[in-house]
Amino acid sequence: MTAARSRRYSLTTRRLLFFSVFVVAFLPLQGLSMAGYVRGVTGDVSVTTLILLVAASISCLMDRDLYDSRSFLVLMLLILGGGVFLYPFALGLTYFDPYALGYGSKAFVAVLFLLSLGAWYFDLYLIVACVIFAISAYMIGIYESTNLWDYLIDPLITSYALFLLAGNEIKHLLHGFSSGARSPLTRKASVR
Amino acid sequence: MKEMGSLGPFEVLQRRSNSTSPRNRLVKRVLLAILLIVFGSLSVRIFSAPPLSGFASPHSRSSTTSITPPLFETRFASHGKTEMVHSPAVVEIAGNRLQGFWYGGTSEHAKDVAIYTSVFDPQKGLWSPEISLITAESTQKSLHRYVKKLGNVVALRDQNNQLWLFYVSVSVGRWSGSAINLMISQDDGESWSPSRRLITSPLLNLATLVKGPPVLLEDGTIGLPVYHEFLGRFGEFVRLDRAGRVVQKTRLSRGSASLQPIIIPDTNRKALGLMRYGGPAPRRILSVETTDGGFHWSRPVKTDLRNPGAAIAGTRLQNGDLLLVFNDSENARDDLSLAYRPSGDKAWRIIYRFEFEKETTLLGGRTRVFSYPYLVRTQNGDFHLLYTWYRTHIKHIQFNQAWLEQRLRSPSRL
Repeated sequence: MTAARSRRYSLTTRRLLFFSVFVVAFLPLQGLSMAGYVRGVTGDVSVTTLILLVAASISCLMDRDLYDSRSFLVLMLLILGGGVFLYPFALGLTYFDPYALGYGSKAFVAVLFLLSLGAWYFDLYLIVACVIFAISAYMIGIYESTNLWDYLIDPLITSYALFLLAGNEIKHLLHGFSSGARSPLTRKASVR
Repeated sequence: MKEMGSLGPFEVLQRRSNSTSPRNRLVKRVLLAILLIVFGSLSVRIFSAPPLSGFASPHSRSSTTSITPPLFETRFASHGKTEMVHSPAVVEIAGNRLQGFWYGGTSEHAKDVAIYTSVFDPQKGLWSPEISLITAESTQKSLHRYVKKLGNVVALRDQNNQLWLFYVSVSVGRWSGSAINLMISQDDGESWSPSRRLITSPLLNLATLVKGPPVLLEDGTIGLPVYHEFLGRFGEFVRLDRAGRVVQKTRLSRGSASLQPIIIPDTNRKALGLMRYGGPAPRRILSVETTDGGFHWSRPVKTDLRNPGAAIAGTRLQNGDLLLVFNDSENARDDLSLAYRPSGDKAWRIIYRFEFEKETTLLGGRTRVFSYPYLVRTQNGDFHLLYTWYRTHIKHIQFNQAWLEQRLRSPSRL
């Protein structure tokens, strides 16, 4: 997600690739854009995903990072936590349905507010921005969904968070076997 | 910038910005102000939302027609326009007419499956030739997303005489890739609003379907029984506001053995829910109850009624007694029966068999299937039952209270 990662290609190549993908996404095929076919399967992505995609695009096209990596890491952890709480229950495992909390549950909004306040206090502005934009979009009703969860997270960004965090863990575990170092996610508060 | 992978969770919280420049302080304060405004607005909306209500009274129809002679008529609602038809729904519209809906095509999962509609004129006793109302293409155009095929449809006429049509569309896979769509008509089905998608699951909105009729709620809003059919199979009760937006949903069951719920209100607080059973033997229709307007439901229990894993239909009489149309079998849909349950009783009694041909030669070679019943009662007190007949036609059975009372007095099931 950082500009450094995309610098293996020249800026011109990246811009060409980006605009090619952009044009292809809106090319009509049998009366429907390519994006429409993808949307048929995925539905609407959350506002959080949109923000990260926009930030990644700017990072790719302008060599400029819009957020710091620690904000991004905590956001990924929160998304993964939210996804673990939300998605298994959507399969009907229990009578408890956390998705129903997204239809205006006061407790849900209170928890979200406390998390946002914590993020603000710790200068995790990416998270604050995601929450602000997600709630604003929910209030305006830009999506078909009337459930706040759908504005905050979606299965795609949750899967991304899972693979990203799991990948980092595996990487550090492997590194730990060879060097004795410990994973940043399992490391205790001995860090400064 | 330190790379993400080299930071621990405690470290990221400890590493707050050291910058105390006036600009940073200002940015932080502005961000807090926006955060408070956004949450304040959200709180105002939540606290000012109208309270959700219970069920509308189901006992508002005209009085029973015991003085009229018994009426029992059968006819076909469809006219063979498509090779396969399935899953009818029916709703009363102006002039005591009925408008029927079903899906049809060359086969159940064919891409040419469309929602067809036809109108029944009670004076002539005839159904009009069916016409294609909704196609996958028209839904795709309205939703701006790929739609592969269509499925079940249910309908309701609300207190403002608006027709609500909920139907299933599939974008990927089979029924596990389903979603629910809504169209509204202000002129008794002459014209319809563009299709709108209902979002009912956080998992890519996959695998939510309708089969049971929507119910009116006390405040004029709508309750929609739905079911999920992905890794699990379970029922839910979805509440919509007057604009057709989902405002709440409650689980009717869990696990992977219950689907296609129907809700039969009794009072504004009490209702009975019945569900198709999809689990191991003994295969029986499942029952749930609510006593608080549908906000909480009892755990599903098996009734005495057999179920081959097929849809059911039911309604409540003015005196609170119940009628249920179902396949009285554990493994086939070659029987379609009418069961009756007195108010306050738990025992069902089968009072009639609409279909029971075991060795019929009609449509030889075709599987005997009498399924997916949809039962409504019109303002004049008549009952109208539509169901899939051999998957080639939609059959319509009309009976009245007098016929029903005759059946209740008769010891025979036929």
